[in-house]
Amino acid sequence: MAPLAVISLSLCFLLPLLSPAISTNSEGNALHALRRRLSDPTNVLQSWDPTLVNPCTWFHVTCDSHNHVIRLDLGNSNISGTLGPELAQLQHLQYLELYKNDISGEIPKELGNLKNLVGLDLYGNRFEGEIPKSFSGLKSLRFLRLNNNNLTGSIPRELTALSNLKVFDVSNNDLCGTIPVDGPFGMFSMPSYANNMRLNGPELKGLVPYNFGC
Amino acid sequence: MDSTQISRFSLFITFFSCILAFSFGDNSSSTDAHWLLRIKSKLVDPAGVLESWSLRAHICSWNGLTCSHDEAFVIALNLSASTLSGSIPTELWNLVSLQTLDLSLNLITGSIPPEIGRLRNLRTLLLFANNLSGKIPTEIGLLKKLQVLRIGDNMLAAQIPRSIGNLTELRVLGLAYSQLNGSIPAEIGNLKNLVFLDLQHNSLSGFIPAEIHNCEELQNFAASNNMLDGEIPASIGKLKSLQILNLANNSLSGSIPPEISGLSNLQYLNLLGNRLNGEIPWELNHLVQLQKLDLSSNNLSGTINLLNIHLQNLQVVVFSNNALTGSIPSNFCLKNSNLQQLFLAQNKLSGGFPLGLLNCSSLQQLDLSNNNLEGELPPTIDKLENLTDLLLNNNSFNGSLPPEIGNMSNLENLYLFDNMITGSIPVEIGKLQSLSTIYLYDNQMSGSIPMELTNCASLTAIDFFGNHFSGSIPETIGKLKDLVLLQLRQNDLSGPIPPSLGYCKKLQQLALADNKLSGSLPATFRFLSQLSTITLYNNSFEGPLPDSLYSLRNLKIINFSHNKFSGTILPLTGSNSLTALDLTNNSFSGSIPSRLAISTNLGRLRLANNLLNGSIPSELGRLKELIFLDLSFNNLTGEVPSQLSTCQKLQHLLLNDNHFTGKMPSWLGSLQDLGELHLSSNNFQGQVPAELGNCSRLLKLSLHTNNLSGQIPREIGQLTSLNVLNLQRNNLSGSIPPTIQQCKKLYELRLSENWLSGPIPSEIGKLTELQVILDLSRNLLSGEIPSSLGDLLKLERLNLSFNRLGGELPSSLGQLTSLVTLNLSNNHLRGQLPSTFSGFPPTSFSGNDKLCGPPLTSCMDSAGHENNILSSTAVVCIIVAIVFTSTVICLVMIYIMLRMWCNMRKVLISNSSEGGGNGIEQIKREDQERWMYGDEKKRKGEYWRVMSSMALVPSQNHDDHISSSCIFQVKMDTKKLGI
Repeated sequence: MAPLAVISLSLCFLLPLLSPAISTNSEGNALHALRRRLSDPTNVLQSWDPTLVNPCTWFHVTCDSHNHVIRLDLGNSNISGTLGPELAQLQHLQYLELYKNDISGEIPKELGNLKNLVGLDLYGNRFEGEIPKSFSGLKSLRFLRLNNNNLTGSIPRELTALSNLKVFDVSNNDLCGTIPVDGPFGMFSMPSYANNMRLNGPELKGLVPYNFGC
Repeated sequence: MDSTQISRFSLFITFFSCILAFSFGDNSSSTDAHWLLRIKSKLVDPAGVLESWSLRAHICSWNGLTCSHDEAFVIALNLSASTLSGSIPTELWNLVSLQTLDLSLNLITGSIPPEIGRLRNLRTLLLFANNLSGKIPTEIGLLKKLQVLRIGDNMLAAQIPRSIGNLTELRVLGLAYSQLNGSIPAEIGNLKNLVFLDLQHNSLSGFIPAEIHNCEELQNFAASNNMLDGEIPASIGKLKSLQILNLANNSLSGSIPPEISGLSNLQYLNLLGNRLNGEIPWELNHLVQLQKLDLSSNNLSGTINLLNIHLQNLQVVVFSNNALTGSIPSNFCLKNSNLQQLFLAQNKLSGGFPLGLLNCSSLQQLDLSNNNLEGELPPTIDKLENLTDLLLNNNSFNGSLPPEIGNMSNLENLYLFDNMITGSIPVEIGKLQSLSTIYLYDNQMSGSIPMELTNCASLTAIDFFGNHFSGSIPETIGKLKDLVLLQLRQNDLSGPIPPSLGYCKKLQQLALADNKLSGSLPATFRFLSQLSTITLYNNSFEGPLPDSLYSLRNLKIINFSHNKFSGTILPLTGSNSLTALDLTNNSFSGSIPSRLAISTNLGRLRLANNLLNGSIPSELGRLKELIFLDLSFNNLTGEVPSQLSTCQKLQHLLLNDNHFTGKMPSWLGSLQDLGELHLSSNNFQGQVPAELGNCSRLLKLSLHTNNLSGQIPREIGQLTSLNVLNLQRNNLSGSIPPTIQQCKKLYELRLSENWLSGPIPSEIGKLTELQVILDLSRNLLSGEIPSSLGDLLKLERLNLSFNRLGGELPSSLGQLTSLVTLNLSNNHLRGQLPSTFSGFPPTSFSGNDKLCGPPLTSCMDSAGHENNILSSTAVVCIIVAIVFTSTVICLVMIYIMLRMWCNMRKVLISNSSEGGGNGIEQIKREDQERWMYGDEKKRKGEYWRVMSSMALVPSQNHDDHISSSCIFQVKMDTKKLGI
């Protein structure tokens, strides 16, 4: 009895001692953290082996010649779950393609740190909450498709700073307020905003509050 | 079972045994002999412990038997640890005079029969550590004289019988390590003499009965590893004799009752692995006898208010894995403390290194890992002179490592990883003769690795991964004879590997990757016979490998990628247990050794970007575990051996950029797990095998730059997971199969530079995820561009140039708002470019027949050039229209002027001409603008569109709108003027 008890005590201590000191690179860790958040009934993430030196040989992950992740292609992959702040560690990411899945929860504001992101396709999921204001930091962003989700709140006016934005689609959400008119928003047509029952047409500076109807 | 039944039964037993005693009278030991010989015959006795049981000897001399003083009765039977098996013989229950029955530590099977109740003289019953199954019989409650009952470590299931409460003489009750379920019977409280109660490792559930407080003699209560729930009963505090209380690994909830402080004799308290919450009660400070305290893995919160100055007998404190906050009290310890182990890992402790601990000079193991501690490590840390293990990893400690650490002469394990420690390793570290493990990884440390470190003769593991250490690896590293792990990855180390490293003969893992190391591998590496993992990637190593590496038979993982190694790779094939070999991007030459096939567990073989020649050895087909085969960018020749078709687990097959010849193998279609197939830039001939359609998991298929001919097989449509398809630069002919529409996940499609003919199938418009590029250029495609291409809303690059496409350009292409690059040049297209194309350079459209509109010339110009007669009438029309409208405008203006003039005259008296002036200016400006647009023909697409519509369709909406708004404005103005 007594020796057994001592063993149970010392086990707590020995466990960390036995674990080897293996560290992989941050991009692999970030993707592996993403995998842990996701439910993957069709095993599209099966090849994501965290013990490899980098994630560049994982399926659905594309790297550049410096072994930095530049594409993540998980569109239409039957995955569900949520996204987390760790995706912001993919500092070289250019395309984040997570469209047409069953991903829910809020869009992590940390995604706004992805300075190299060109295309962000989150359409056709169950994202809720607001469009992060931090997206104004996506200086390279050209394509932003958030349509067919359950997003609420207003379109952050900060997005008018995205001078490279070419495509913007937030249709089929539950957004409210008015639509910005500055910067690239002068260019987008009405279908980009369709089916947001509480969205009230173009911003009328000074006449109507920006968040009118929210 | 109700009590009347029990009493009736016991009456019957008493009666029966009386008759027995009467009938056998004083001859009972010989009767016992009779039963015992029957027992012997029924037990399986491989060790022969019962050999002495024979009528030739007196019964009292038989092995394991003890007789009464008068040798009349057998009073004890002890056959413990005798490898006996079989079930308990029924004859045993006739030995009614037995006081002690010990069959423990055997292999006895079957159940404990109810007849055990006949042994009413039993004081000690030991059946533990057998294979007994079934339930504990209720009749055990008849053994009223029982003092010691130990029947645990069997497979006994079901509930603990409540009749156990009848055993009022019981002092020891051991029921641990079985499969007992149900709750602990409240009748346990009847056992007033109980000293030792062990219920560990069962499946007991329910509450701990409050009645337990009646067991006033209880010294040891262990019920760990069950499923007990509810709160710890406060009444437990009445067990004044209790020395050991172990309730670990249950589902106990609520807070720790403060009444527990009544256990004034408690020496050991273990509550780990429950769901206890609330704070640690301050009253625990009253448990002055306490030596070992484990409250880890609960949800305890609040600050640590337990003080070693009260609990001077404390030796072990474990609070790890809770939600404790704050810092450790500064008066935690006295100088004469007995505290040896303090584990506070995985909490939310904050503040600096707890200086209050420095008085605990008795401390041997200190674990503060995974907290929020910060600040520098105190130089006085060497006051913990007995410390063997210091675990401070996963905190936010900063500053440098104090040189005084060299005074902690007993230190064995130093874990400082995942902090923000800066500075260099103090040379004093070399004084630590007991140091076995030093983990400094994931910090910001710099400077060189001191040679003194190699004085730490006991070192087995060094991990400095992810720091900024520079300089070279100490030349004396070979002094570390016990080194098993050397991890120096991701630093700024330079220079060669010291040859003495080869003398670390116990080395199993060597990781020097991601540094600036250079030179060649020392020949002394042949002594590293235990080496299993060696990773040297991303350095500047060069030269051929020493042949003697061939003697390293235990290698499992080799990664030498991204260096400048040259020569043959044969020295790396000595092991038959390789699982991963990665030599990507070196200058290795020679052929691929067939000997690699002896490592039948090889999963990843990557030899890309070298100078390898010869053909792929067919022996590689033996690698049944191969997942990743990358031989790309070499000088390999010959055909791909068909034996590779037996590598059925292949997921990545990369043979591109070599000189492979022959037909593209059709067996590729049998590789069901294939996700990536790159055969591009070779000399493959023949057709694209239709069997490839069976590789349904294929994500990337790249066959470009070969000599493939024939049609694209329609089976390509079966690749429903495909993301990338690249067949460009071949001799493919025929039409593009419409089945391609089923590849719905394609984001990149390149079929350019072939001989493809016929129209572009309109089904391509269903590939709505096409994004990176759709390249069909330099083929013989004809017909019109299908308007469905306008559905490719995500497409960023479209190249249809150098084909024979004709007809009108479909206006739907104007919807392609994502397009960044567009090339429609050198076709026979005509018609008007969508306005959204105006930003592309003219070269995107050059070499066509009749395309017009920005950025090309306007369609009016081109139209006028062709039909002179028609255009002259149009010109007449326009002139007439202009004259007409300007006349109207003039008339209107005159009218307004007149009205204004009239009003002016009226208003002059009241002196308010402001609004009127504005009105005039506005009208003038609009007028001017309209003329400017009219003159400036090549201004903007917008204007061009308006003009053309005016010219061709005079009564267009747009026109109406302009004029109506003009009138509206005028009306407004007149109103204003009217006021």
